[in-house]
Amino acid sequence: MPPRRIWLSIVFAVGFALSAWADEPAPAAGANPADLKKILKSTADHGKFKELEGPFASGPDVTKRCLECHTEAAKQVHRTKHWTWEFLNPESKQRLGKKNVINNFCISVPSNYGFCVTCHVGYGWKDANFDFTSETNVDCLVCHDTTGSYKKIPGRAGHPAYEEMEVPPGSGKKIKPVDLVKVAQNIGKTSRDTCGACHFFGGGGDGIKHGDMDSSLAAPDKALDVHMDATGNDFSCGTCHQTSAHDVPGSRYQPTAADRDGAHIRGKADKTNPATCQSCHGATPHKEEARLDSHARKIACQTCHIPSIARGGVPTKTSWDWSTAGQKGPDGKPLIKKDAKGHVIYDAKKGDFTLAENLVPEYMWFNGKVNYTLLGDKVSKSDGITRINWFEGSADDANSLIWPVKVFRGSQPYDPVNQTLVTPHTAGDDDTSYWKNFGWEKAIATGMASVGAPFSGKVDFVKTEMVWPVTHMVAPKDKSVRCIECHQQDGRLQHVGGIYIPGRDHVRLIDLIGFALAGLTLLGVLGHGALRYLSHRK
Amino acid sequence: MTTSKSLSALAALVLLGAAGAAHAEADWKRGRVYYRMVCTACHVEKGGSIAPSSKTIAEWTAYLAADKHAKGKDTVKFYVGKKYRDSVKASNKAAEKYADVAEQDLHDDLKAFLSKGAKDGESPASCN
Amino acid sequence: MQRIYIFKRFERFWHWAQALLVIFMLASGFEIHGLYKLFGFKHAVQYHTVAAWSLIGLWVFAIFWHFTTGEWKHYVPTLDKLDAVIKYYLTGIFRDAPHPFRVTRLQKHNPLQRLAYLKVKLLINPLIWITGVLLLFYADWPAWGIGRLQLGTVAVLHTIGAFLMLIFLIVHVYFVTTGHTPLAQIKAMITGWDEVEDEQPAAAK
Repeated sequence: MPPRRIWLSIVFAVGFALSAWADEPAPAAGANPADLKKILKSTADHGKFKELEGPFASGPDVTKRCLECHTEAAKQVHRTKHWTWEFLNPESKQRLGKKNVINNFCISVPSNYGFCVTCHVGYGWKDANFDFTSETNVDCLVCHDTTGSYKKIPGRAGHPAYEEMEVPPGSGKKIKPVDLVKVAQNIGKTSRDTCGACHFFGGGGDGIKHGDMDSSLAAPDKALDVHMDATGNDFSCGTCHQTSAHDVPGSRYQPTAADRDGAHIRGKADKTNPATCQSCHGATPHKEEARLDSHARKIACQTCHIPSIARGGVPTKTSWDWSTAGQKGPDGKPLIKKDAKGHVIYDAKKGDFTLAENLVPEYMWFNGKVNYTLLGDKVSKSDGITRINWFEGSADDANSLIWPVKVFRGSQPYDPVNQTLVTPHTAGDDDTSYWKNFGWEKAIATGMASVGAPFSGKVDFVKTEMVWPVTHMVAPKDKSVRCIECHQQDGRLQHVGGIYIPGRDHVRLIDLIGFALAGLTLLGVLGHGALRYLSHRK
Repeated sequence: MTTSKSLSALAALVLLGAAGAAHAEADWKRGRVYYRMVCTACHVEKGGSIAPSSKTIAEWTAYLAADKHAKGKDTVKFYVGKKYRDSVKASNKAAEKYADVAEQDLHDDLKAFLSKGAKDGESPASCN
Repeated sequence: MQRIYIFKRFERFWHWAQALLVIFMLASGFEIHGLYKLFGFKHAVQYHTVAAWSLIGLWVFAIFWHFTTGEWKHYVPTLDKLDAVIKYYLTGIFRDAPHPFRVTRLQKHNPLQRLAYLKVKLLINPLIWITGVLLLFYADWPAWGIGRLQLGTVAVLHTIGAFLMLIFLIVHVYFVTTGHTPLAQIKAMITGWDEVEDEQPAAAK
């Protein structure tokens, strides 16, 4: 065969192969599908950057390189809650944010920085003296990793493992060092995996805190989440939490409870929260049933479209009783109890838990205003239940909608003399940390001293409740809540007051009088008829 | 077509495939979706589900190399193959979504996910 | 006996359509009220709504018909012979006394009927309609400038209307059997033809 013929056949084969691959227009010469995927993904292939060839000794070393091109990135991050862990509520003036609030899960951050900041977008926050102006301490990789291999290690103040190490120490569980070059060269957009690395694991483990966010959302099917469905819409978190300048919208500290502004449109300056349902679907999304749009004026979309949470096989924690912590097993070691499925329901470090899958939320009026009980606020056992936070809202308030919430109930230490919540020093390899020494007094003394708060030395436990809005795990529409589930007595909305719900609400007296009169009338006409019958027989 | 012609066409395809493989980074996320929504979806019913973290990287690598599915009754390659995907795509959205992905690519993706999710992998993975 | 054509074709259609719709709406309405399960809440609401619009449509035609044909005059209340009619139903009916009222084409309802139907038309129907339409459009109240109206109040009034209609229905159905034979009046409403006594009824007083 002459060489020309061979070349022709090669060209033919290439052309044939290419055309068989995809129905896209023929790609530019030399671009096979894998390359094309890369080309269309980004204008920059970080794998080709000399700056990222390494080697890197640490995370901040990578950040330095990032900032050489992305000169303003760290300054953007510095302005966000992800960095400051602080949020000043402009209305209530409460100083919130992870750094300041107390919850009824692991309680609080101060004096536990080395562990808690495993979820901070930075490096080196090991105590209250962290430098919030440091640009190189911004952790770019934790949000922009695409390899899934970058993991911050608890107790390392936000650093991943740079060498092989045992985590936790003495456990025998070896962790391999992260390949920073590989991670840096494969940098990309945030994903369900990167956001989920922290937000799926809030409260100390998978699904514990939120219930509507857990690791099952990393690659969910349609039944679990219509939007993030990995085989369908495949939304990432950022699809809804549309971010600019690194500031992710959609905060729990100041949520949008009722979005009356309708869908966002290109070319229109939309200042409202882009993460609401309405920002895409508008205020009247029900095409077939106008009545449902009427419902949406008083009911959050989530109320009907998230029939239950923790639907992906990962249970969420529903209560946490710190007052029973500290028990030792027969072997003298801190006790751990598990349920039939292997989920921990008692841990000497933490106390008793209850867990639930397919949890039906509770419901309440909510106008977007959230208040917190902060350190120093008066707390008394005689109040019954201390509200860690509470949602404002009522039926009469035009900005309130009925929202689904997860109410997390617990019992946690407080100072009965000073009548305040406390910030125990739980995590740490030292002489006072609760998880190592199991002594509340010492642990709380250390924690309170670290923030300069007074502590009487006395410890008691107070019952607490914390409310979490439910907004993820949106089910397909055929799985949404049925009418009858609310329109009945003892239905989902049985405790939501201030509104008349047909099927649920009755004025008993009216019903009684109505049926009594109807019954008497029936008796009357029957009697009349009987008399007629009898008198005619005579 | 003469033998030499078809041979040269074949050579071109092989060359092209090799070039593609060299460039392509295995997509562990696609492997994850395929493993969970195609492999596990069926395994839940037949044979029980298998967590990636139930084997080590070496075990998974050996398993994929031996290519013996159901104790050798059929092959793993078959279940990653287009023919199988075609046969279930009417009822399986993941198979439908990846219906046109090259077999080798999907096989690599699966391998990448299993290495990552193995007992000694970067992030040991359960079934969900 | 003499046969007179008393209920015209439209009137009969209107009556029976209305009867079916009212009974259906009572059944679906009390389900929506949460008293039992029949169609399922969602369908009960859908059917109730469709039936409501049908009834409103029917009534628009009926009102038009009443005014263009002058039939509305049959509902003008009168006290004439009212006490005699009441007395008849309380005592005379048991003694086979003649009915004090004679049906004619010009007066097809006795004074008691006039009052009862007028009560339906002027009290029960408007009550049910107004509250019902409000309930259909409760989301628009603020836009209509009546945002301060309480949903519960309107719903209770609607329920009261439903009970009044139920009571009317019971009495009405019973009175149908009080013709000169138990089925005579229902026959008249089906065929349109009523049988009346030839001679003048004996004076009631």
